[in-house]
Amino acid sequence: MMSPAAVLKRAAPVLACIGLLAIWQAAALVLKNDSFPTAIEAIRAIPDILGDKESLINILASLRRMAMGFGAAVLFSIPLGLLMGRSRAVAAFFNPLLMVIYPVPKAALMPIIMLWLGVGDVTKTLVIFLGVSLPVIYHSFEGAKAVEQKMLWSGAAMGLSPLQRLVRIVLPAALPEILTGCRTGLVLALITMITSEMIARQSGAGNILFNALDMGQYDTVFAMIIIVGAMGICLDAIFERIRARLVRWSEPQFDMPLSFS
Amino acid sequence: MNVVPSRSSEWVRPVTSHKPASAIIEIESVSQVFQTSARKDHLALSDISLTIDEGAFVSILGPSGCGKSTLLYIVGGFVSPTSGAAKIKGQAITGPGPDRGPVFQEFALFPWKTVLGNVMYGPRQQGVRASEAEAQSRSLIEMVGLKGYESFYPKELSGGMKQRVALARTLAYHPEVLLMDEPFGALDAHTRTRLQNDLLNIWERDRKTVLFVTHSVDEAVFLSDKVVMMSKSPGRIRQIIDIDLPRPRRRNELLLDPRYQKYVVDIERMFDESDGAGGPS
Repeated sequence: MMSPAAVLKRAAPVLACIGLLAIWQAAALVLKNDSFPTAIEAIRAIPDILGDKESLINILASLRRMAMGFGAAVLFSIPLGLLMGRSRAVAAFFNPLLMVIYPVPKAALMPIIMLWLGVGDVTKTLVIFLGVSLPVIYHSFEGAKAVEQKMLWSGAAMGLSPLQRLVRIVLPAALPEILTGCRTGLVLALITMITSEMIARQSGAGNILFNALDMGQYDTVFAMIIIVGAMGICLDAIFERIRARLVRWSEPQFDMPLSFS
Repeated sequence: MNVVPSRSSEWVRPVTSHKPASAIIEIESVSQVFQTSARKDHLALSDISLTIDEGAFVSILGPSGCGKSTLLYIVGGFVSPTSGAAKIKGQAITGPGPDRGPVFQEFALFPWKTVLGNVMYGPRQQGVRASEAEAQSRSLIEMVGLKGYESFYPKELSGGMKQRVALARTLAYHPEVLLMDEPFGALDAHTRTRLQNDLLNIWERDRKTVLFVTHSVDEAVFLSDKVVMMSKSPGRIRQIIDIDLPRPRRRNELLLDPRYQKYVVDIERMFDESDGAGGPS
């Protein structure tokens, strides 16, 4: 039996969602604007989208590109960040490069990349890759830099080679920080996914959204916004579960309850 | 923490079982210069020569900033001296190795590993079979008084317990020399005393060579066969004092022993003479 406080804590995110939808519904009823459908109209459009084979294929294609871009970015960025964190030479080489790339909106690079690689999957996946890489590199770098020297010395005394120390000491020691970067990266992956599909209109969730906008199907537009938002929440919640399991050993941190886990 | 093993007679070996003294570590005119800024150099260690006999408990005692930890890191192979050389069993030290096991003030445990995982890490790295490494590690954990805590993570342990794990982790890969870098410096007075007693009990069982860095005169006299007194700026050896007190040593007896008191007072006086105010501690 849960205490009332515990029940409230569990129910809080659901209540927040219901509250938001209620405000939306009321605002739409008051404003009576054609381009601002009520919450109920938007929610009613969701089954139509999810029931349509074409739309589902589009959404799945989006998710596939996102997964590929995110996966490639993580596989590339973690080793690079760790090396930068432990080697001054590597950091000195890559830091200025990253400083230049960091403030550039990755979507702004899209037209150029489209020119080179076309409007297909490769271009969009590459943009997602770029969007995810930087926070993951940065957090891996910070995490690796903060690893206690004496922990590495202890490993060296046990006979671990430099590579073994990087993989078996620096990587696990920096893991909480790395996963923080990955979590940011996951949200950025979703954002760049939609943006890339907005620029290169060919397929995907972003394509459905902007096509509906062009055709004045505003209930579909808002339904897609809800779907994309729900995807973000679900992905983040799943990731948070995995993260919490992987770094159970690390200090408990105060964290805003951003996920529903 | 009421998990400290009580003193039992099996831990006490007669003093006559001393191995014949032979040098295991030789430090030959080692100097260490650190560049503190672009133009200024800091001479941390100046022309240190020291021989440590096998099976001896040797403390390096000095004020903070005298380079005593640096000297330990040079023996550990973590730091290369600017000039001079350190040798173990006649071989020049070029890097860290499992023959020299460090125990640091900061514990430096692997936080993602349990107590058992930490202690097993060294033996597993040395290629010991998992079952065998686990059995050895469990008995070591028991020896340092942490039976029942095998599956705890470091963050769940107190400072004293962490240092017990760190000691067990290092003992687990059977180093020939223990390098202890102010291991009890971060602990409260009570925990510190208990760990000193337990370290002595453990050490008196197998008489591993210990190089022990400290800034506490009491600690150095209580534990050591030999105290190397260092002075600072630049760090050099002031004097080496043989501590001729019987073993096994018990704190309650030793504190009342006039010979022990004289060592402490003499050493403190020598430090006072050198730098006016304040001793090393």
